Amino acid sequence: MEYSNPKIPEGINTSKTNPLYEFAVLTGGIIVTAVVVLTCLIMLVDFFADKIPFSWEKNIPVAKMLSDSDTKPIPVYLDKLSQKVIKQMALPEGMDVTVHYINDDTVNAFATMGGHIFLYRGLLEKLKNEDELAMVIAHEVAHVKFRHPIRSLSHGVVVSLILSLIGSSSGEIAGGVLGSSSMLTTMHFSRDYEYQSDQAAINTLIKIYGHAQGAIGLFDVFHKEIGTVKPVEFLSTHPLTENRISQTKSIAMQSSIDGESLMTPLPAEFYSWIK
Amino acid sequence: MIDLIILISLLALGYGFGQYAEKRHYTSIRKRELILRNIPVVASRIPPQGKPNYDSQLVSGSVVISVDYFKRFVAGLKGLLGGRITSYETLLDRARREAILRVKREAKDMGAEIVFNIKLETASIHKGRGNAIGSVEVLAYGTALIPN
Repeated sequence: MEYSNPKIPEGINTSKTNPLYEFAVLTGGIIVTAVVVLTCLIMLVDFFADKIPFSWEKNIPVAKMLSDSDTKPIPVYLDKLSQKVIKQMALPEGMDVTVHYINDDTVNAFATMGGHIFLYRGLLEKLKNEDELAMVIAHEVAHVKFRHPIRSLSHGVVVSLILSLIGSSSGEIAGGVLGSSSMLTTMHFSRDYEYQSDQAAINTLIKIYGHAQGAIGLFDVFHKEIGTVKPVEFLSTHPLTENRISQTKSIAMQSSIDGESLMTPLPAEFYSWIK
Repeated sequence: MIDLIILISLLALGYGFGQYAEKRHYTSIRKRELILRNIPVVASRIPPQGKPNYDSQLVSGSVVISVDYFKRFVAGLKGLLGGRITSYETLLDRARREAILRVKREAKDMGAEIVFNIKLETASIHKGRGNAIGSVEVLAYGTALIPN
């Protein structure tokens, strides 16, 4: 038997694919597919969330979880102003909004299930006039009007259901990529909600004051806060994109003539109330 | 956001160092394969005929190579879609060749002419620990024939 020792050719046991190319195709493919599928599902759920009666939402004991600050003048004033705002917003039959004041440094305001709106002292301290406060209230009332809290909740439920179904069986890494894509999708929806609420709030401001300078003032307040060390919570729940500002400004500009002089002042005692 | 930055840095680190180590390893493998080419390694279980005056001796070589973060990430994505896990192919190729090279090196140090009945065994370390970076062990062993 003849034995020879030929030189073995190089690279016959490995593939020539560029690892970066493969990485890009895999990640991109999974993200795009996940976003498309989740978007379809969320839109479907959105359709049904809208049909949930508001009275069901009201039965959820949200307000009891966060304690209200008693009968000081500030809740009374906030309630009066919000009634003025709500009157202009044409809420559907059976929908009502409750405003709560929270004595806390957090610079935020939010709307939640059952038509409850929470305003933090931290945010109120930053406001310069009634228009800006009305803008905040109108924005949150618009969230309630368009059923955003229950929609977001439904999206969250659907997304986490899908993730727990696929994520657990696909391994940690693929699950992580799916998780990021779902965040991307829900974030897109929540941004849409912010635009929608901004628009409704500006229209309300115009109805009440005849102009929408309050919206510009409010965004200026946030714009100044972006650079500060302490991050403003409001911005994480209400992403303040350049897009959102410019959109708001362009709507607001159409209706206004000149800035500061038009603003309605806050009551003289306002800042002492929130001390 | 911060999670994403950490992930991308880990991927970049894994890719950078992983590719560098792999390239260096392949260069070294090719060089040593050329040097040790004169010792044939065959899978035959029967010693070559017509060589009665030889001593036989067990030779073995084992190597453990770790997968890098980037390779593991790509393999993890493949776990969802299926297909060739190309990122692990080079890893195992390197491990097999390195193990055989160590066998050859041992045989050469004994003054052997040929190694027959070569066997390869593979084991994965960190098995079942999802979070840990996996590593692979390849063990090669065979019988060296040393002229007496």
